[in-house]
Amino acid sequence: MTHISEDLLTSYAVGTAGAINLWSVEAHLTGCASCRSAVSAHVDADRLARNRSVLLVRAAIGDGGPVRRLLRRCGVPDHLLGVLAATPSLRASWLLSVLAVVAVVAVEAAAVSYGWIGQPAPHASPEALAPFLLVAPLLVLGGVAAAFLPVFDPANRLAVAAPFSGFTLLLVRTVCALAVALIPVTGIAFVLPGPGWLPFGLLLPSLALSAFALAAATVMDPRAAAVLAGLAWMVPASLLALAHVPLSIVQPDAQFACAAVLFACVVVLFARHSRFEMGLMK
Amino acid sequence: MRPGAEEREDAVLLRAVARGDERALTALYDRHAGWLTVRMTRRCAMPDLVDHAIQDTFLAVWREAGTYRGGGDVAAFIWGIGIRRLIDVIRRENGSRRRLPWRAAEPETVVSAEDQVLVGIEHGRLGQALAGLSPELRAAIEATVLDGLTCAEAGVLLGVAEGTVKSRCHRARVALRAALAGTDPVWGTS
Amino acid sequence: MSVTVSTEAVRVDGLSRRYGAVRALDAIDLTLERGITGLLGPNGAGKTTLLSVLATVSEPDAGRVSVFGLDPGDAAERVEIRRRLGYLPQELGYHRHFTVAAFLDYVAILKEITDRRRRAEEVAMVLTVTGLEDRARSRIRTLSGGMRQRLGIAQALLGAPDLLILDEPTAGLDPEQRLRFRELLSELPGDPAIVLSTHQADDIAAICPRVIVLLNGQVRFAGTPAGLAGTAAGQVWAADERDNGAHLSWRGGDGRWRHIGEQPPAGAELVSPTVEDGYLLVSHAAGTR
Repeated sequence: MTHISEDLLTSYAVGTAGAINLWSVEAHLTGCASCRSAVSAHVDADRLARNRSVLLVRAAIGDGGPVRRLLRRCGVPDHLLGVLAATPSLRASWLLSVLAVVAVVAVEAAAVSYGWIGQPAPHASPEALAPFLLVAPLLVLGGVAAAFLPVFDPANRLAVAAPFSGFTLLLVRTVCALAVALIPVTGIAFVLPGPGWLPFGLLLPSLALSAFALAAATVMDPRAAAVLAGLAWMVPASLLALAHVPLSIVQPDAQFACAAVLFACVVVLFARHSRFEMGLMK
Repeated sequence: MRPGAEEREDAVLLRAVARGDERALTALYDRHAGWLTVRMTRRCAMPDLVDHAIQDTFLAVWREAGTYRGGGDVAAFIWGIGIRRLIDVIRRENGSRRRLPWRAAEPETVVSAEDQVLVGIEHGRLGQALAGLSPELRAAIEATVLDGLTCAEAGVLLGVAEGTVKSRCHRARVALRAALAGTDPVWGTS
Repeated sequence: MSVTVSTEAVRVDGLSRRYGAVRALDAIDLTLERGITGLLGPNGAGKTTLLSVLATVSEPDAGRVSVFGLDPGDAAERVEIRRRLGYLPQELGYHRHFTVAAFLDYVAILKEITDRRRRAEEVAMVLTVTGLEDRARSRIRTLSGGMRQRLGIAQALLGAPDLLILDEPTAGLDPEQRLRFRELLSELPGDPAIVLSTHQADDIAAICPRVIVLLNGQVRFAGTPAGLAGTAAGQVWAADERDNGAHLSWRGGDGRWRHIGEQPPAGAELVSPTVEDGYLLVSHAAGTR
């Protein structure tokens, strides 16, 4: 094959080649490696090296997986997705363990009420739901705690010292953790033998508990706040279970109380949000 | 190195990239990024955009190396990806939000049909005929034939409407046919 | 009011901070300028506390702090300071599953670099500066201690900070790694003010044109390493035997005894003091060892 003259190659690389030469040179280049490398020699080596580094970094970072790709296409800003990627309660392993615990509790409740164990019951016994009612909102609280407690963020000091708003970070993570934790919990609740509104009855208590933990974290140690929130649910749920009326905890009166707590805590949270800009540690 | 051997190496590298070998990607970059940068610069004068397009091109090669079917040159395959990444970058720069669907370039039809013709183009009658075209008509023909773009894609590259590209291509072919007295088999069809 | 342009990056007046009954910082005054300043002191001297106050991670109990002329006590100015800051904490934690590139991408987001492409460019730049390009895909848990330290510095460099705060960056590094760290610091792009803390005097001697000695929450010396060495001028002796009258006395690797004290022991010769000698003397004078 005949090759392109060096003069023509140089004028092409530099940009002074005429239009006709452009056409024939490029058609030839597609099939000729030696002329291609001759042309490449005219490109600034630093520029090539820089693009190479950026390329390899982007290949290393990747696009985050199918979920992140989908969310990006839906318009969610990529930097928020990056922040979520560093949240433990969104990790698959966390989700799986939540599912496992919920499933175990649900199976036990179903077994009792369907009569597989214990006495056969003519109708579903509400007491069998007690363990599930106890545990379900605590799991949601746990997911939220894993999203905001400094102990669960290994790079917490970096996040505090960085300009990214600590409050935004907290909100994005906890809202997502809430949504993600509520899915298995309400899903299992649909399957359980109980009143049809049970899944929805768990929403307000879960939200109220989480808001309470966050609001309390602005005045006390965050771990203590999470524990306090957990107790605030466990104590009444256990007492009602012992009194054989576990479902009272999701009755209308209790729902109103949860809604009031939720509202109050959200107000406190937004009023004291500057506390989160200094991090929640001493 | 004999041309055939280089080409086979490129194909081997591309298959390695399809298997996730990052060193093969780096090797392909070192071989092809240079001339790709030059070729893109001939179509887009802004070096920042060309840099972005170069990065996007090799990222796309990284992800889609498996679509290379083995026919035609690896260089043409990479150019087919590259020209579309360049168009995407230009389009995003101009603020358009619609994304072009990426489709595989068909190197066989673009290159082999014109290989003999175009290499000889400088001194041949076709070369003179092309020289006789006005710059916009020549640019339209170049984008659609040499780069294998659709009229929509060519429109983005040239900064004109799709319909304008279509009519310019048509006028260019008419002019070329007239200049060649309609005897050249490639340009005789449309 | 006239505006003075100063080279000061940081000014601290009367800074105090306590943890319970312990006074970690006791009415500290200091200034930091462009270039490298070393913060020298034993563990528990208050170095980490001071650096975390400068990094806006902790709040002081008393005193004023000014970083780039901005007040970290004001919410808006604090964010502005954080935009120009790079911080390497003493115990930097990493998300276990992260790769090097993904972790740096995350920190770049925290530094408000929202554009994906710009983030990749910044990450590529810091990887090149710290020599970690080949490890972009590696998981952080597979990195050696020296590489993790370099990663720590890389994340601090993201966003081209004007103030770099490095808390014990040389801890756990072997001598060769410390040498490479020194080279890295001397070749940083831009001209940031850098403050690094260490408890080893030879780190100071090797890299820092300025040194501040912190003991028990108080500044005991601020000046050049030569100045610190000079505080022990005329008080450092080498002899073949131990001297019990000296302030400090130890046997060196060459078999000879080194003494720091006012009176020369019998048969001793005067030697020129090192930075470490000055540091030991200052520590002794402050009542700590």
